[in-house]
Amino acid sequence: MSRHARALEQLNIPTVAGAGSNIVAYATGYDFLYSNGMPIRYVGFPFPVAGQPKEVHHRYVFEGTDQVSGKAIMQAIIDALTRPLAEKEKISGDPPEAKPEPRLLPPDTEENLQRLFKEKDWTDYLPITLPTEARVAAMLKGTSRKPDEIVKTINWPGGARPLTVEKAAVCAVMAGARPEYFPLLLALANEVPFGNSTTSMANMILVNGPVRNQLKMNSGGNAMGPHNEVNATVGRTFTLLSKTVGGLHANVTTWSSLGSNLQYNNLCIAENEEELPEGWDPFHVQMGHKRTDSVVSVGTGWSYISSVGEVQRSYAAQLLIRDYMRALSGQGGATIVMDPTVAALLKDTQGFKTKTELSQWLAQNVEKTVASFFGNGVIATFAGSLALQGLEPYATWMKAPPETLIKPFNVKNINVVVVGGKIQTTWFVTDFRLGRGVLIDSWR
Amino acid sequence: MVLEMQEGRIKVKIKGLWACSLLVLGALAFAGHMPAQSGNADKITVLNPAAASKMAKRAPLCPRLSSLEGKTLYLVDINWGGPDAAYSVYEEMKDWFAKNIPSLKVVIKRKRGPYSQDDPELWKEIAQNGHAAMVGISG
Repeated sequence: MSRHARALEQLNIPTVAGAGSNIVAYATGYDFLYSNGMPIRYVGFPFPVAGQPKEVHHRYVFEGTDQVSGKAIMQAIIDALTRPLAEKEKISGDPPEAKPEPRLLPPDTEENLQRLFKEKDWTDYLPITLPTEARVAAMLKGTSRKPDEIVKTINWPGGARPLTVEKAAVCAVMAGARPEYFPLLLALANEVPFGNSTTSMANMILVNGPVRNQLKMNSGGNAMGPHNEVNATVGRTFTLLSKTVGGLHANVTTWSSLGSNLQYNNLCIAENEEELPEGWDPFHVQMGHKRTDSVVSVGTGWSYISSVGEVQRSYAAQLLIRDYMRALSGQGGATIVMDPTVAALLKDTQGFKTKTELSQWLAQNVEKTVASFFGNGVIATFAGSLALQGLEPYATWMKAPPETLIKPFNVKNINVVVVGGKIQTTWFVTDFRLGRGVLIDSWR
Repeated sequence: MVLEMQEGRIKVKIKGLWACSLLVLGALAFAGHMPAQSGNADKITVLNPAAASKMAKRAPLCPRLSSLEGKTLYLVDINWGGPDAAYSVYEEMKDWFAKNIPSLKVVIKRKRGPYSQDDPELWKEIAQNGHAAMVGISG
């Protein structure tokens, strides 16, 4: 929003921005310093705005106060547009040099350093392995890349922080990873930071190809639980990179209302390619990679729903998957994570010869009412604005009677991933939308 | 060892030599849980995981209006929270301005696309026809 205000200010239109007090704190703090550079005047609206009845909006305007200044909200708006500028609001030009971050921290005891890392919010508040020079040097032996090579520059949410190979090694050590995991971690570093939204997003990390077995990742029984060193530390490294180099800190740069417990490990799994039914391609092959490629794919989403029990003869698996998918927002896509036994049942008893056939069936059969679809705030914000712009199919959907059934999922965005130990015919539906993936071998 | 409260003070009775030994052992154990002292031998050097952030180039605000009397104010809904969020608040604000600054013309507009999408055409319209603007309302 600060960018819209900035665009208007640059056209000589005095502008005030309105937001909840959390957004105001972010916009006038981190975003101003590291991204926007213009000291936009904000008023802090009472919260929430969305979902409130008209009489509450009336009260906000006629009786509400600016959550920042404490003034009557309308007086605060008038002041923001008419109060002469302070000297600090007239500053232009280059900012002061960024405060450098030293490569080494001052020597201290292990206990004090563990405390420092927590005070700086560089950890997930579980104990870390301290990144001594020797440990980081050992980690760097896992790649031929130079320590000062920049994997990517992280510019969300502003700040243009260079994520170097050495910084990745530091976080890998902190997470407890081993040097042989490092090429996978460098590929994963291309996808840092984790999903960052007031809506409490999370991520899924999926590994495909020969690297799974070379590293002994768990794609079988208990693959999604805390039972494997690689799955655990790879997922954790993603979080630590996001918090350190990514600069994501609660109430400074991230403002998730509830947050997500999935961010401790980011659902880090490997596909059980060996147990895929014949004709069902591994995910990375569906994305255009070779079967012999090792690939890590990251998805962003929110939700994770279990089938709970085993598949019943009286109600085929795809029917219950369809039912549970109706609970998802329909924003972005879905990833169905299923045990190999479910995949085998779907192929052998239900006739889905490929993953794509299952995705097509789900896209055709998962229906939601228009009211339920637009009743989700993320949908209302994104698809709703496209509907108001006249873009189809959203424009037609928005005009339809509330109980009209629509098919909100696109076949291209319904992924199927096979994971598990053939212990029970269970599955999860999730709304994670996986990306195409990053090749791992080029980071060796 | 027995601790007793006596006239507001703690009185310590030590029963037997074995208790003295326990006292010494307890003290040693306690010391083991204290932060390490500052001897250089206990100190280690570690790498800094943080990376420096570049600050943004500064840009000034434009001059403010002397008042809103007789001016045109655009209220721009950036589409955060759906069609019934900011737009509904803006309708109330328009009512408030009509009662309190009747000479102010208020125009409510929805920005094109999701909240992060730029809308240069609307900014141009506001620059041509307006004197001030509000953008919002994000939660």
